[in-house]
Amino acid sequence: MSFLDSIAAGLSVVGNIEAFLALFVGVAIGVVGGAIPGMSATMAVALTLPFTFAMQPITGILLLLGVYKGGIFGGSIPAILIKTPGTPASSATILDGYPMAEKGEAGRALGMALWASCTADVISNLALILFAGWLASFALSFGPPEFFTLILFSLTIIAGVSGKSLLRGALSALLGLLLATIGLDLVYGTNRFTFGDPNMMGGLNFIAVLIGLFAIPEILAMVWHPTAHVGTARSLGKNWVTFADYRRSFKSIVRGSFIGVFLGSIPGIGAAPSAFLSYSEARRTSKNKENFGKGEVEGVAASEAGNNGVAGATLIPLLALGVPGDVITAIIIGAFMIHGLQPGPMMFILNVDIIYGLFIGLIVSSVFLFVIGSVAIRGFKYVADVPKRILIPGVLVLCIYGVFAVNNNIFDVGVMFVMGWVGFMMVRYRIPAAPFLIAFILGPLLEDNFRQSMLMSGSDPAILFRGPITWFFWGLTVLTVVAIVRAGVRAVRGVSLIEK
Amino acid sequence: MKFRTIGAVCALGLGLATAAVAEYPERPINMVIPYGAGGATDISARTIAEPLGNAVGSPLVMANVTGAGGATGSVAVQNARADGYTMLFARVGSHSVNPAMKATLPYTLDDFRFVTVYEINPVACAVSPSSGITSMDDLIAKVAEGGVTYSSSGVGSLLHIAAVMVLSEFGVEEPLTQTTHIPQKGGGAAATAVLNGTATFLCTNSSALAGFVANKQLVPLMVTTPDPVPGFDAPTAADLGKPALHQLVGWTGIAGPDDLPDDVADKWGAWMAEATADADFLEKMTSRGSVIELMDPVKANEFIEGQYNTFRKLVDDLGMRIEG
Repeated sequence: MSFLDSIAAGLSVVGNIEAFLALFVGVAIGVVGGAIPGMSATMAVALTLPFTFAMQPITGILLLLGVYKGGIFGGSIPAILIKTPGTPASSATILDGYPMAEKGEAGRALGMALWASCTADVISNLALILFAGWLASFALSFGPPEFFTLILFSLTIIAGVSGKSLLRGALSALLGLLLATIGLDLVYGTNRFTFGDPNMMGGLNFIAVLIGLFAIPEILAMVWHPTAHVGTARSLGKNWVTFADYRRSFKSIVRGSFIGVFLGSIPGIGAAPSAFLSYSEARRTSKNKENFGKGEVEGVAASEAGNNGVAGATLIPLLALGVPGDVITAIIIGAFMIHGLQPGPMMFILNVDIIYGLFIGLIVSSVFLFVIGSVAIRGFKYVADVPKRILIPGVLVLCIYGVFAVNNNIFDVGVMFVMGWVGFMMVRYRIPAAPFLIAFILGPLLEDNFRQSMLMSGSDPAILFRGPITWFFWGLTVLTVVAIVRAGVRAVRGVSLIEK
Repeated sequence: MKFRTIGAVCALGLGLATAAVAEYPERPINMVIPYGAGGATDISARTIAEPLGNAVGSPLVMANVTGAGGATGSVAVQNARADGYTMLFARVGSHSVNPAMKATLPYTLDDFRFVTVYEINPVACAVSPSSGITSMDDLIAKVAEGGVTYSSSGVGSLLHIAAVMVLSEFGVEEPLTQTTHIPQKGGGAAATAVLNGTATFLCTNSSALAGFVANKQLVPLMVTTPDPVPGFDAPTAADLGKPALHQLVGWTGIAGPDDLPDDVADKWGAWMAEATADADFLEKMTSRGSVIELMDPVKANEFIEGQYNTFRKLVDDLGMRIEG
């Protein structure tokens, strides 16, 4: 079947009003769901799943994909406006998005988030359509040793988000690694640091830790100094992102998109590490390095490009191999199976119409995302105008509701408050929260893949150097560490010169 | 003041009277799914929710309480009041493999009363085509050579014990030292590990493998049921002369806390009979490779006890029990 035939076959399944309506409604649900703190994109997709049972396969799957894409973008809205990431993927957006909102540039940050998201979305979808087969076979060459070296390299992000003091950043990362060890041991199945509490057996809930670390300290600070914000006008957001901003950040957006495509096509990593990696790369190469973390629009662009670049690419292992890359694609694969479709290489032969229908739908979804995102920003940005004394209690209620709803477990709400105090103390002692979060996400991946590698090789460390992929990441890691050390030494010398 | 007291007493009496007269269920029933959205348990639970809700006549509130291989959600129901308003979708992993393997589990089988088992999932073993293994005999021969590994969705999962039990049945004397277990996080990751060569084989629910087998990404070696599984071109355990492996199947059931009253259990028996007869439900479940086999409360308890004892014996014989 020629390419045109395939497209015609695809159009014949999606060329009806229901399919596009489902996609449109999906994106809208996703944006709103993602924008509610605690109601992550994962939950929005899970809640939509039962509604797709009765639909046509393609319509149902497009609905879910719409929710997924909308949710990943929607998460950036509360991240920017109230320092509460709506989804884990948007935690990197906080780093520069919230300072921008504080400076009264909420509209500009949100606009940049949308433009970067849509650009990354298009690049990601094109990568899926053009390179699915190639990227899938690349993803299959990623065993535990390759994974281990990739994660090891990703840990160097910590240096990029530590702010002024690398030592404080490392301390924060250590704390994150420590808390990530709570739960069941992967290889032996024994309890670690659970203190006999069954609630701790599953480890600390990620969303609870995330919201506790970022949103609750703001609330505690407000209680501490109820009038601290008076006078520092936060007035909004009539400002809008300019084309000059977009052009200036374009390189970071494209780089972030490719990082997203690359990490998204490998099952098991997810959007949050990709956003952080894209952010730290943008910071490393930017001329305005100093401004990162203080409200740099390019930082928002890079994080959002990093997480939305994943959205299309996670479908690569799903469609080409039948393997879910993360929790959301696991739900979507469930939807495929409910309709009797079995994603995998054969689907490209047996169900060409569905595959190309999905491709067409994905391309259209980027347009829908742009339209719905613009409308949503117009509505949501006035949140920045709400006086803090009214906004903050509302945020607290949303946080509690959201964290409870993730797992219907009141214990998680307790975790959120404890982490809130930890985060509050960290703010007071100027310890950055981002390294904690990165370590908390990457720590278990690093440990699991290291131990799996050791099981594979019978504890022979040579397996960590098998093949070109591992060498590539070892090389990158060494280069980055050398660069960090040199920058650190230079900074110390610079300070001592000024002192003289 | 006195008038008020009398009023309160009357109201209380009236309330008790209605409570006694009102039939269970008079309010929505909370159904805990101890595994994440999109997984086998979740899809099974949400598929039966519709016909079951019609049979019950009262809404079912489905809630995923995930973590620790199903333990977090199971504990939530174990500690709930036994009034029939909090029930659990129990699964082979959380309620027969885990209790058999983990000494540290905060619950035992006796903490639950099963009202039904409605779904059986055949187990199949598969390898990657590039391994050159085409039959169980090939696999066992490879084990003797050494270096054979198997993946699972975690310690104490069905996949874990299934691989060990199959090896043990096929005459491998010390499966724990002759082969290596490489646990993964989740069933999808376990299949990927075999696809990309991290592990040699895995044994899991046939529905989880159906896609890979249809796409010729994995080669099935055997299925554990007495009857062949559609789509799997592989011998059954009966064909291979290993009837003991018939016990090795996945299942989904519904349980309440151990002191669940008899009348509630009976009601569930009747509702399940009605729900599982639903044609739409049957079609959806069987198309995914499940076998719908309804067990009443007594039979369900017997079935689970039997499987638990088989697993427990294997675990004790091989010294696999996790004490720490």
